[in-house]
Amino acid sequence: MSAPINAAGPLIRVENLRKSFGSHLVLRDIDFAVNRGEVVTIIGASGSGKSTLLRCMNLLETPDSGHIWFHGEDLAADRVNINRLRERIGMVFQSFNLFNNKNVLDNCTLAPITLKKMGRDEAEAEARRNLEAVGLLEFVNAPATSLSGGQKQRVAIARALCMKPDLMLFDEPTSALDPEIVGEVLNVMHDLAAEGMTMVVVTHEMAFAKSVSDKVVFMDQGVITEQGGPQEMFTSPRLPRTREFLSRYLED
Amino acid sequence: MTRLSKLTSFIVDDHRYVLLGTSVVAAIGVWFSMQRRSPMSFLRGAYAVEVAMYWLLVAWLAVSAVALVWKLTHWEGDAYERTSPFARPAARTAERLCSYAVCAVTAALVVDRAAMGFLSVVSQSLAQDKNPSDFLGSIVYMLDKSYGIIGRGVLTTVGLSVFGTLIAFVLAILLVFLRIQTIDRSDNDAVRFLKAAGCGFAKVYSTVVRGTPMMVQGMLIYFAGFGLLRNSGMSVTEIGMVWSTFVAGLVTISLNSTAYMMEVLRGGIEAVDLGQTEAARSLGLSQWQAMIKVVFPQGIKNAIPALSNELVVNIKDSSVLSVIGVFDLMFVTKTVVGIYFKQVELYVVAALCYLCLTMAASWLLGRFARRLSVEPAPLLSTSDGTATVGTVSSMSSTELSLDAQRKGGR
Repeated sequence: MSAPINAAGPLIRVENLRKSFGSHLVLRDIDFAVNRGEVVTIIGASGSGKSTLLRCMNLLETPDSGHIWFHGEDLAADRVNINRLRERIGMVFQSFNLFNNKNVLDNCTLAPITLKKMGRDEAEAEARRNLEAVGLLEFVNAPATSLSGGQKQRVAIARALCMKPDLMLFDEPTSALDPEIVGEVLNVMHDLAAEGMTMVVVTHEMAFAKSVSDKVVFMDQGVITEQGGPQEMFTSPRLPRTREFLSRYLED
Repeated sequence: MTRLSKLTSFIVDDHRYVLLGTSVVAAIGVWFSMQRRSPMSFLRGAYAVEVAMYWLLVAWLAVSAVALVWKLTHWEGDAYERTSPFARPAARTAERLCSYAVCAVTAALVVDRAAMGFLSVVSQSLAQDKNPSDFLGSIVYMLDKSYGIIGRGVLTTVGLSVFGTLIAFVLAILLVFLRIQTIDRSDNDAVRFLKAAGCGFAKVYSTVVRGTPMMVQGMLIYFAGFGLLRNSGMSVTEIGMVWSTFVAGLVTISLNSTAYMMEVLRGGIEAVDLGQTEAARSLGLSQWQAMIKVVFPQGIKNAIPALSNELVVNIKDSSVLSVIGVFDLMFVTKTVVGIYFKQVELYVVAALCYLCLTMAASWLLGRFARRLSVEPAPLLSTSDGTATVGTVSSMSSTELSLDAQRKGGR
């Protein structure tokens, strides 16, 4: 089933992706690719389709048409075994979505144990390693509901890492946080990028996008209007729309 | 300081309240002393004592009245404190002691008239060989003659509702899993068909059961079962052994309650944030795994108050099953009414029995729910105070107030 993948090719490639909610077309023929080890940030105004694109990339939204190639399989194909593929794609949500009925450790070990990727001991060791990396090892036994927002988001990142994914998707991971604690989550993401994780990040944190990204994608009204390296995107964007959008952030 | 001790210190500290408060007690005592003495009254032979008690109370009322008039005529500033003979320290002590005596006398009168009166009605009624005409006496008489079957009726009602609710709970969990499944991308055609069929069945079941009266359902189930067994060649006596009215009633109440509990569970599950499912699915868990491990444990917690209310509803609604002849409290009451023809008295007894059962059930379930909603979570260490031991979930207010019960009748 899984064809040998070209190591030089992109890790995930989106082709002609279309998605509409009712009569409203949210994504119009999106094409883009993420290479191994690359950090891609998607920026754009609210309602431009950034989050929908990200959610399509692990099929939390079902695309109307198009292809999403990942490990030689098309995620958008009908009746693809999405559960196997999702194991290799980590996702971090804006609203954290820690399992409220579990403590921190169980949040991290639930999926590896249930999906029999690891035994309990191995899963717990992996969870502790990842929790230590996000600086929350002392909270292993705390109930998920007792943590602060920044702590929850760091646990959510550790939880996703416990599945040893090839790709991490971040859907506005800091938008629900106080400005003061945005930094603690961004630091964790910085470290992750430095370790070579392939990441796609939807964000409004332009400073973060500028410093971490290998590629910046600007979306407007369901279309990728411009993409490029962070330097050229932030200093000399081609299109007036991009310039207008960025000017609002870069003034500060 | 409790409310009671606050009140007592308030009365004791200021003698005017001693006078006024105790005069109310004295008035109650006077009223009781004017009531008819029952045969069991212990003051019956001590007429002189009772007269003395009566006059003590009346004297107290008079003293209070004088003190009140004095206060009204010496309203300004501390005029009353200075001039009144009632405000002198010695008088205050005497007044306090007298107030104790007044309270004791009133208590004696209440016991003599009310408690002994009740006991004497009971003992008289028990000795009668025909139904007494007074309300209370008649109830006591009939209870004495038929407590056996009334007790059996209460037990049947409890059995029907408790076992019915437990069976319905299990069935409702199974049914709600059928109801909430949705077709997933990776499902093949057979799975898709089975899921659609299961969901459709649950929907139809819920609509039909909730849309028809339980009385009709009971009739249908009882007679359908009876007819089937009769066609299979069993005699009426043999059928009575396996398909008794109790069994038919239990089946009816279980199947009926299943539909309601399924909807309650569905509500609880659907109230769980969609993000919980998305997070579980994003890690690679299947729809079923996400439901079992993450969503259902949270959903059932949401549903516990409404689920336990279902037991209270079933205690009351099992009464309609008396139409198929289940020997429950309602059926027993009707039977006893047939014997004595005292409708109001007996239905008051039945109502009180149902009230006691439902109140006991909600009290027990309330305690049970409170225990469940606090989950003990062992905590090793925290660096700041954000983590707490145990989380009280949002539904900790599981008081099942009787007026909050939905569905007056089905």
